[in-house]
This record gives sequence, C-alpha cells and structure tokens, in this order.
Amino acid sequence: MNRESIGGSIWARRGLAAMGIFGLVFLTVPLVIVIPMSFSSARALTFPPPSLSLRWYETFFGDPRWMEAMWTSVLVAAISSVAALLLGGLAAYGLRRGTFKGRDWAEGNFMAPLIVPTIIVAIALYLALAKVGLLGSLLGLVVAHTLLNVPLVMMVLGVAIREFDQRIEQVAWSLGASWGYTMRKIVLPNLAPSVFAAWIFAFIGSFDEVIVTSFIAGKFETVPKKMFNELILEVNPTITAVATLLIAFTVLALAAVAIVLRRAGKLKDTVV
Amino acid sequence: MSDIRLEGVTKRYGTFAAADSVDLSVTQGEFVTILGPSGSGKTTLLSLIAGLNRPTSGRIFIGGRDVTNATAQERNIGLVFQSYALFPHMTVLQNVLFPLGVRKIGGAEADRLARDALKLVRLDGFENRRPSQLSGGQQQRVALARAVVFKPDILLLDEPLGALDRKLREELQVELKQLQRTLGVTTLLVTHDQEEALSLSDRIMVLDKGRTQQIAAPTEAYLRPANRFVAEFLGIANFVSLPDGRQGVVRPERVRLAGAGQGQGQGQGQAARVVEAIYLGQMVRYHLALDDNRSVVAAVPFLGAAHAPGERISVSWESADVWPVT
Repeated sequence: MNRESIGGSIWARRGLAAMGIFGLVFLTVPLVIVIPMSFSSARALTFPPPSLSLRWYETFFGDPRWMEAMWTSVLVAAISSVAALLLGGLAAYGLRRGTFKGRDWAEGNFMAPLIVPTIIVAIALYLALAKVGLLGSLLGLVVAHTLLNVPLVMMVLGVAIREFDQRIEQVAWSLGASWGYTMRKIVLPNLAPSVFAAWIFAFIGSFDEVIVTSFIAGKFETVPKKMFNELILEVNPTITAVATLLIAFTVLALAAVAIVLRRAGKLKDTVV
Repeated sequence: MSDIRLEGVTKRYGTFAAADSVDLSVTQGEFVTILGPSGSGKTTLLSLIAGLNRPTSGRIFIGGRDVTNATAQERNIGLVFQSYALFPHMTVLQNVLFPLGVRKIGGAEADRLARDALKLVRLDGFENRRPSQLSGGQQQRVALARAVVFKPDILLLDEPLGALDRKLREELQVELKQLQRTLGVTTLLVTHDQEEALSLSDRIMVLDKGRTQQIAAPTEAYLRPANRFVAEFLGIANFVSLPDGRQGVVRPERVRLAGAGQGQGQGQGQAARVVEAIYLGQMVRYHLALDDNRSVVAAVPFLGAAHAPGERISVSWESADVWPVT
C-alpha cells in the first residue's frame, strides 16, 4: 500500500505529529515538573530539587488547617456529587424519555452552568445564597457544587440513556414490572458503568472547583481555595505536595472510569 | 386468552390523527394483522393496545374488561418488538423468568414454566447464554418465549421478523404460526410486509393515514379489495375501466397472454407489446404496454419458454376476474 496516498505527503504527516507532541508536552510538562518538586528537600521552590525528601508531605499532613480544608473538600464533594448524580440522573432520564412541551428549554436551563462563564455563575450564586441566608455556609457550598455538577452528570448519563433502547423498558412494563422495579432491575444494572463515571466526574468537578467556592465559601476552606490563597501570600512548597496528591487522585479516578467503561464496552460512547 | 375490541379509538398529536376512530374486534384465539405503510398509524395503534400510550378518545377492551386507562402493567399482555428488546445483562433463562418473578412465581414451578417456554421455541440448551451470544433469530425466539411464558391474555407483535433476513424470516413465520396455534393465544401483529400479513393471519386490517381501509380474510382482501389503496398495497394491481364507467382491478395472475392475433377466452384480446420479462422462478412477470399506452402486469407460470421484450402479443382477462373498486 502506498503510504503517501493515505496521509498526504510525508512532511505534512511529520508536521502534524510534531504539533501533536508539542501540544502534549505543553500540557503535561507543568504537571511533570510539580511532582519532583514536591519531593524536594529545599526550603523554597527550586527545580531540579537538590535532594529528595518527604518534608512537604509531612508539613501538609501535619498541618491541621490543611487537614480541615481536605475534610471540607471531601465532605462537600461526597455530598454534592451524590446529589448531582440523583438530580442530574433524573433530569437526564426525563429529558431523554419525555415528550413534554418546553423540553429543550428545560435542558438548556439544566446545562447553563456549564456554558455560562463560571464567574457569572459565581456572582449569581453569591447573590442568590445571600438572599436565602446560606452564604458562607457548608450547605450553601454543597448546593452550589451540586448545581455546577448536574450538567456533567446529565451529559454522561444522557448519552447512556439515549443509547439504551427504550423498548427494553416498555417490554419490562408490559411483563408487569412497575416503573421502580424496571429502574432497579433493568435500567440501572445496564447503566451502572456510566453512573459510576458520572459520579467520579461530579466528585472531581467538585473537588477541583475554586472560582465559585472563593465567592461563596466564606470562612470555609477547600483544598483548591486554600492552595490559591497560599499562592497569593507566599510561595510555599507544600502546594507542590498537595498538587501531586491531587494529580495522583485524579489520574487514579479517571483510570478507574476508563477501566469500568472499557469493560462495559462503552468507552466510545462517552463524552469526556 | 381473551378477545380484543377497539371502539372509535383515536389518537391525536395536535391536529394530526395517528389513529382516526378505529373499530376492531379480534375474537378469542384469532390471529389478526394490522397492515399498513410506515406512518399509517399501525404502531401507534399497537402501543395504545399495549398501554404504552393513551388514546385521545375511544375505548379499548381486552377480555371484555375496559382497559382504556389501565397501565401496561395491568393489561397482562405479551409484547414482542422488532429490536428483540431482551434484557442484555440477563441470561436467556433469566429473561424468560422475569415476568414470572414479577408475578411472584418462583422456585421449581417458575423454572419448569420457563424451560417449557424455551422448549416451545426450540431453544432448550441455550438457558445460560447471554442475548449477545445469540443470532437474531434466536434472540427473537427468546423474546417470544418471554412474551408467552406467563400465559398472557393477548400477544402483541410489532414487526417481529423485520430485522431478519428473508430465509430466516420465512422459517420463523412458520414457527410463529405454529406457536400461536399451539397456545391458542389471541394475537395482533403489526407489519408493513404484505406477504407476511397474507401468510400468517386469519384476518388482516389494512390501515392508511390512521384510518381503517378494510378488515377481511387475506384472500378476500386480495381478490376483493375495498378500495384503490388496498388493491395497490396488497400485491400488484392492474386498473381497467368497466363499461359502467367505474374502475376495476385485475390481479396479474388473472391476465392471460396469447400470441399476437390469437385472441383467447371470452374477453376479446387486446394487442400489447412486451416491455420487460422478469423471471421469478416458477413464474414470469411481464410488464406490458397496451396500444393506448396503458401498462399491464401479467404473471404466468414459467413453462420453459417466455415472451421476449419487444414481442407483440395479445392480452385478455375474464370479466369475472375484474373487481370494481372506488
């Protein structure tokens, strides 16, 4: 087979490959630099590190303020991701299966937090939460993160629900199964990999969030918010340890998603 | 086993009527096919009977019980779709056990019923396979077993053989007919395939634009179509003018051919030219042009020699074979 006829001239293909590699390097180098820096023994941020140590991890785990931020982040992410999964899942099901008037409008409304600039969402939430007295409260933070994560859940589950033949549900009903029974025994077992993926995305989405959190969290510190604040005050190498932990967590979570979806043969269908 | 009765069933979407005051009565154990082109409202009608949809007006009775506002769960129907709609995460046996589990039938009895149903569709030995490990024909047999295992009052089939290739479809037609006869279950099938309708059903209901065109036995509808639509939808129709000014339909098998000039039978032969001769195995189908440029289709048994395109011949038919249509 003639290679040139497939990929154009050899120079065009080499150019394309070079651009791809450059893009990849551009995206990953900052991550890769942060990891060795976090194991540095130096007092200030230096690269390459003069020698290796775990001192910044010790600082992180030994600092009650970091631990408290970590706890807040985990708590908010855990609750808001489950809430987003429930609400987003129901919304996606209703929007995919329903034929009611104003469906497009409703879908647009649900997806808005993903499309509207985050700063606008932050200001809107600031004003709205202030009005109902939830500004600076943990509940307000959970509500805000839930709202931000609903579109992520809807995107992942919306695709999965559309791919799942509605007639399978209809047959189950005709065989005598109630809606709830059909949901538990037929729909959820088949959508489980996508539900897991949606939950992970929502969890990471909440764990990462910094803009809206900065506006509305008040005295509460989440990990990303504290990192941002630390960077403003002083450049402290502890941040590189936190960043490395976050990278590791994200990579592991996404790997789990990839494995679960691949096992279910659904990787190609999922919007990531 | 129950009868089905539709009284003035109408389903409107805005101003569009997918079903327009449809009346139908299916007796116990009967096999009726709803036949129509896509968009004729046949699937809408089936979903109304299945309870997946509610009619705008009219009433639906199953076994004498008014089920117009009953949910699908309350109707005790077996439903089979073209896409099989098997539960992908369950084995064949688990699929067939599902309606029994819902009915709180378990243990040895459920197992026996499910295995009997699988035997009925010749799938014993496939209990532990997954749907994805079966061929299309096997999957549709599982769907059938699942639809009949709980002895439903009626069986509803939505283009059940539409996804299968021709040979398999013909095999399954025979099996479906045998299964229906064995169980004696009242069956309503929806299809756009006129051959399937003619070969399977006790009666067919021809539907167009949501309206009933004719309800009759297959031969009756074929030979004595109620109107032009039915005549054209069921097989090939030649339209001819009758002496009283009405139109009549002659089926291709009733058209007689003879060499040019040798008029045959009582009807006087008309001169025609062979446009195309299509060999169909036992039959040859001729597309003919009469001298006044009207076209006629004839189907005659193939006996070793055929007329060639361009040949001039004589065409005739018995006046008794012409059925007047409006």
